[in-house]
Formats: sequence, structure tokens, C-alpha cells
Amino acid sequence: MTDATAEFFDALVERRHEPLLEKATGTVRFDLKDGKTTDRWLVTVDRGDLAVSRQNHRADLIVSTDKPLFDYIASGKTNALAALLRGAISVEGDIQLMVLFQRLFPGPPRSRKQRTSAAPAGRKR
Amino acid sequence: MSNGLVQILDGNTFVVSDSNGDIEASLTDPTGLFSFDTRFLSKWVLTIDGQRLNALSIDDLQYFETRFFLVPGTGGVYIDAKLSVIRQRAVGNGFHEDLTILNHDDKPVDLSVRIEAGSDFADLFEVKDALAKKGKYSARVDRGRLLLGYERETFRRETAISASARARLDKRGLTFRARVEPHGSWTTDLDVVTAEGAGGSYVRPKYARGATRARPSMELSLEKWVADAPQLECDRGELKRTYRRSLVDLAALRFSPPVAGGKSLPAAGLPWFMTMFGRDSIFTSLQALPFTPELAATTLQVLGDWQGSRVDDFRDEDPGRILHEMRYGEMTAFEERPHSPYYGSVDATPLYVVLLDEYERWTGDRKLVRELEHPTRAALNWIDEYADLMGTGYIWYQRRNEKTGLENQCWKDSWDSISYRDGRLPGFPRATCELQGYAYDAKMRGARLARLVWKDPALADKLEQDAADLKRRFNRDYWVSDGEYFALALDTEGNQVDALASNNGHLLWSGIVDKSKAKAVAQQLLGPRLFSGWGVRTLAEGEGRYNPIGYHVGTVWPFDNSFIAWGLRRYGFKEEAAQIAAGILDAAEFFNGQLPEAFGGYERTVTKYPVQYPTACSPQAWSTGTPLLLLRTMLGLEPLGDHLVVDPALPQGIGHLELLDIPGRWGRIDAFGRGRVDVEERRGGKSSGASRRQRSKRNAGR
Repeated sequence: MTDATAEFFDALVERRHEPLLEKATGTVRFDLKDGKTTDRWLVTVDRGDLAVSRQNHRADLIVSTDKPLFDYIASGKTNALAALLRGAISVEGDIQLMVLFQRLFPGPPRSRKQRTSAAPAGRKR
Repeated sequence: MSNGLVQILDGNTFVVSDSNGDIEASLTDPTGLFSFDTRFLSKWVLTIDGQRLNALSIDDLQYFETRFFLVPGTGGVYIDAKLSVIRQRAVGNGFHEDLTILNHDDKPVDLSVRIEAGSDFADLFEVKDALAKKGKYSARVDRGRLLLGYERETFRRETAISASARARLDKRGLTFRARVEPHGSWTTDLDVVTAEGAGGSYVRPKYARGATRARPSMELSLEKWVADAPQLECDRGELKRTYRRSLVDLAALRFSPPVAGGKSLPAAGLPWFMTMFGRDSIFTSLQALPFTPELAATTLQVLGDWQGSRVDDFRDEDPGRILHEMRYGEMTAFEERPHSPYYGSVDATPLYVVLLDEYERWTGDRKLVRELEHPTRAALNWIDEYADLMGTGYIWYQRRNEKTGLENQCWKDSWDSISYRDGRLPGFPRATCELQGYAYDAKMRGARLARLVWKDPALADKLEQDAADLKRRFNRDYWVSDGEYFALALDTEGNQVDALASNNGHLLWSGIVDKSKAKAVAQQLLGPRLFSGWGVRTLAEGEGRYNPIGYHVGTVWPFDNSFIAWGLRRYGFKEEAAQIAAGILDAAEFFNGQLPEAFGGYERTVTKYPVQYPTACSPQAWSTGTPLLLLRTMLGLEPLGDHLVVDPALPQGIGHLELLDIPGRWGRIDAFGRGRVDVEERRGGKSSGASRRQRSKRNAGR
């Protein structure tokens, strides 16, 4: 079985730099409850440079939710901000970091860039 | 106040009540205490000895505070005024109410004072569409507080009600036994506090009374806000009143979203649109730039933070796209509505680039331009990569969310706003003309920023080439040669959607219009089919769908006119711009200085006064910004390097006008002007004559 959460963070490690986060500096810790255990991921952002570890460290922003829900978010099946509004995610700390970071989550798997049709033959006037 | 309803607000928390201060909402009735798009109180009814009260008067003290003077008994001819009741209410994280009962008699009275309280926790969208709730309600009394709750899965909202005087609390309200001595008074404070989330922490209302009561911070900041803005001196007193009204309303419309670090941007309208709207926040920031440039800075930062980053059909989101609207209620939370945020607008993205450049020209704040390089490049990229749905080099729109998305994603967003002359509606996608103008302007301004600040001359060259190419094609493809104006849109076949509309004025503003065509466009705008005498109609008289009280098909929109006036100035039509300014500012006087969103397109000589179009929101942000932009266009204020050029062309009726301490990269500068443009003469005079000729020519061609 694939682990969408692990895949998401692995992809961050490979990305190393993310232009969408160039405005951001700080640490985000994800506390993902999975049954009785808590899965932790710590992302350090330094003006767009990314580092990921599994440390249980103090962070500027702590995002807490259930692991199954985070799998959905990490694969684009659920929207993180909607989940935050309905209390399925709770955040503590720098909320702006959350707004910037959530942009890294993918869109819904079925959503595709709108196709541009070929140019029409010409103006009919 | 409208329809006998009283509104007070602080950010996106607001109270709408009847003239007694009571709230008795049904699902479809828009009264209550609202915060973050949820109704936290739908019932709040005061009775004394079982009797409702009757309003004598209401003082709107501030936009966040009001006072009701009441007497017992409902409506009869005779009012027994041995008792009077004062409710003073201030909003802020819920609301705070001071309730005072005065006994004017020689004998003491014992009263049963009751407040019935309840909440349906409706989402704003549910109030609009009358939808049923899916969660569970609760009500309990806990340590002197009445707690009203709502819960759906992890979504929780709670309202806590408490009083300073001794009260008996039950699940439906509070009862006080009040003894009021002869010529004495009895008083209690009531706090209504809203909370979100599980065991959410309560926030005290901002204006809770007590021995150490501080002055409300909002009142202080309002005074400072007005004092920091340029001062207007003018022979015409009404214009000063309109100006002050605009500044105060703009203060009320300030909205501080959770990510803005306490800074605020203009929300769209009060109270139902107290949230971020890309288009409205940008247009209002542009209008207010010469007066309160900090609004533009916050708008740019926050909209940049929320910029789209992925393809999401439900939210009509693409990478680089600027949001349309953000909402925080239950339906958004459960993804029954796409507003978390929703991205379905096509003009906000190019306008974002326009605002950043205009902001730099006024303030010289290159630091922000550097900081926003990435979102601005992404916005420019979106225009070419995501908005050209037909591959024709134009911006098109068609929603991907067909259930709850917006069909028309331009500012004229009603279903029938885009039509051919004969009234037919085109299919989708649609490429309305003003979008192409915004794209042109965005590219030209983006090029300036790329060269000047980002030091990327290659990008600047490319943007300028693209812009020149766009302009050339646009002037060929959209020009309706038998009418001498630009078509409202192109349809998917590449045909012109050929109605004549006010959008032509936005084209002048964007600079996309060939110089050789500008005069004809200006004549159309001031001609009898579009110009009503008060302003330019959204759609020209004589078009199939023209209706002087149709939302986007004949009414006059003050905001629209302010940008049209700016466009006319851009092409040197000073007198025409002054004429529009005169008409709109005259209209403002009929609305006590507070321009509505829209008013009827009836001929000025026929109705003598502007007929208001009924809308729920007042003030509307971009109507509030309109007098500000008109001051700019009348004075001909234009930044040039580190200087501010002043080139006044004022209507005669205004007399002498001074705008003092205009902030900008020059520090503070004063501008002066005297009304010399004879708009009366122009109204009956040569410009409309020219357009009349045009009309007969066009009609002959049909």
C-alpha cells in the first residue's frame, strides 16, 4: 500500500527549494495521529529552501490531525483549508506559515489544466 | 440603515437588528449576530413584564456602535412614558450591550426583564439560499453563562451569553427581577461572545464596560485614519461631506484577515461582503491610492499569500490565479461551497499586476515590488498559460465548477450582462473586452517592473512585444466599425458580441485603445446612448437587453464611472472626465455623500434625481472609493518620477478646491484647482451632438 503522506514529504526532500515559499522562514511540525502512535514530520523552511526530518522539535507552526485525513490532503483528495475550517485540522502558531505551506499540497487528482482549443479558422463577419 | 434594519460591524463580525434592537431571524431573514460567515444569534428579544418595546429613536453613534431609545408597549397611539429603556450596543468579537431602564415615576417599580436568546448557527450561504442544517444543536447553563452550541462532526460553534446583574438563566434566555426606584435607574451589561472549534477559547468583547473602561480602540483609529488622509478644502461644501463620508466608510470596510498581521485591506461591502474579494479589494485599493496607500500594500501582500498554486476544478483554481472570494462558514468547511478560497474571477489576476505597478509609481516602495516578484511573475504567467482557453491570444473564461462556480467571471457577473445587440447571449467561453485591456496593461506595467526592479530586461522586452501584439490584434478583432466602438466580447466562433457597453471606458483606462480610435470611444461614452447625465450606463440605450434598472444592463455604476473618468484622462479628454465626475458627484449629494453600488440609468432630465437600485450592501467598497478616484482625475494627479503632476480640469460648480498633504514618494504635496469646465453647456452641447450623429449613422446601418 502506498503511503501518500510519506510520498508527499519525500517529494519535498527532493525538491529542496520551493519558490512558493520564498517569502517564508520557519519550522512546521506535523503531528499525525495514527491509532495510538503519532507520526511526526518537521519541515524547516528558509526562504524557500526546504529540509525535512522526523524530529520532535519545537516549531513555529504545529499542525495536528489524523494520519488518514492527512493522506487525503497529501494526495489532493481533501482541501487543507476546508479541513481547517471544519476543525478536522488544528493549528498552533504562525497561521501565515500555514497559508503559504498549504499551497504545496496537490489539487484533486481528477482536476486537469483547462485544455486550450485550437484557434478558430478565423473571424466570421 | 435600510429597510428599518440597523447594522453595526467590526471587521466581519456584525449585528443586524430591527429598530428596537431585537433580532428575530428566520432561516431566510438576514438579521442576527454574524461572525466569520456564521450566524451566532438568531434570536435576541427584550421584553419588560412580557411586553415588547417601541422605538423612539436610534442613534448611530459609530459604525460599530449604536443606541436605541425605547418605551414599553407596541405601536399604540398613546405611549405611557413612565419608563424608558436605553440599549447601547457595540460590536467586536461578539457584542456588548448596556441595558438601562429609567423610572420617571414617583413610585418604585418592580419589573420582570426578559431576554430571549437563541441561535440557528446558519451559514451566510444558507441564509441566502434557505438551506437546512445538518448538525446538532445544544443549549446549557454553565457557571453563569448560557451556552448555545452547534456541532457537525469536528465543526463546532458556540455562543456564550452572560450578564453583570443577577439573572435567572434558562436554555432560552435570561430573566432579571429589576426594582427601579422613583426617578432612578436599573442597569445591566450583557456580553455575547462567539467561539469556534472544540472548547474554543472565548474572546472578551472589545468594549466591555467597567471602571477601567478604555476608549474603544476603533474610535481612536478612525480619528487617526481620517486625520492621516489628505485634507480637502472646497467651495462646494457637499463635496467635503462626500469626501468625509468616503473616508469613514472606507474605515468601516477595512478587513483584517487572519494572515495580514493585523493590517487591513478593503472588504467588498458591508455587511454581507465583509471578506476578501480579489477584484473588489484591488479596484478599491487603486481608487484610494492617493489617499491611503497602505490599503494597496496589504491587498497585494495578502492576495499574494493566497495566490493559486494548483489546478483544482472545484475552486476554479490555477497556479498564479488571484482569488475571487474567501469564506469561513460551515458550507465552505464541508466543501459544499468552493470558497476556501474560490478563484473564479479572470480580471483579478491581471489587475493584481496593475495595482502593484501603480502602487510603486505612487509610493516608490520597491522593497514590496521585490518581495512580490514571484507572485507577480506567476500572475503574468497565468494570463498566457491558463487564461487563453481558446488559444487565440486573449483572456477567456468558463467555469470548471458547473454546480457552484460563477458563470460570469468578469465584474459584470450577472447572467444576462454579456449580450449581442439583439439581446442574444453568447455561449462559453467568453472573452469580454475589458479583460484584454487589463492584460495589456498588466504586461506593460509588468515590463516596467521587470526592467526597473527585478533587473530582467529580457522579460521586459518579451512582455512589451506581447503587449504590442495584443493591442494590434485587439484593435482589429474587437472594433465594431459600423458603430465606432469596441465590442463587448468575442464569442467562441471569433464573432463580435457587439452590444455597446461601458466596458469601452475601461479600455481607455488600460491604454489598449489605438489613439486613432480614442476620440470615437470618448464620444460614445459621453453620447446620449451611454451617458444619462449622471453617468455612463452599463449598457447603451437601444440595445436589446437595455433596461434602466437592469443590474448590469442599463444602470449606472459609480465605480465603473470613476475608472471611465480615469480612462478619459489617460487619453487627454479632460473635459469629458470632468463631466462624468460632475454627474457622479452630483448624484452622491442625493445619497448623503454615500454612493450606492448602482442607480437607475434613467435620463437625468427626466427623473431629476438618481433612482437608487435596491441592493443589500451599503456602503459598497468600490462605490466608497469612487469620490476619491474622481478627485484624482479632476485634479489630474499623476506621479512622474519623484514628482506629482497636477493638471486640474474641474467642473465649474465645484469652485476652488484644495487637496492638502497628498502622500507619496515626494513626501506630502498639496494640489489646487478651480472649476472651469462648463458641464451644463457640455451636457446639451457639442459632444452629445456628435454622438447623436453617430447614432443615426449606426441605426441606418442596421
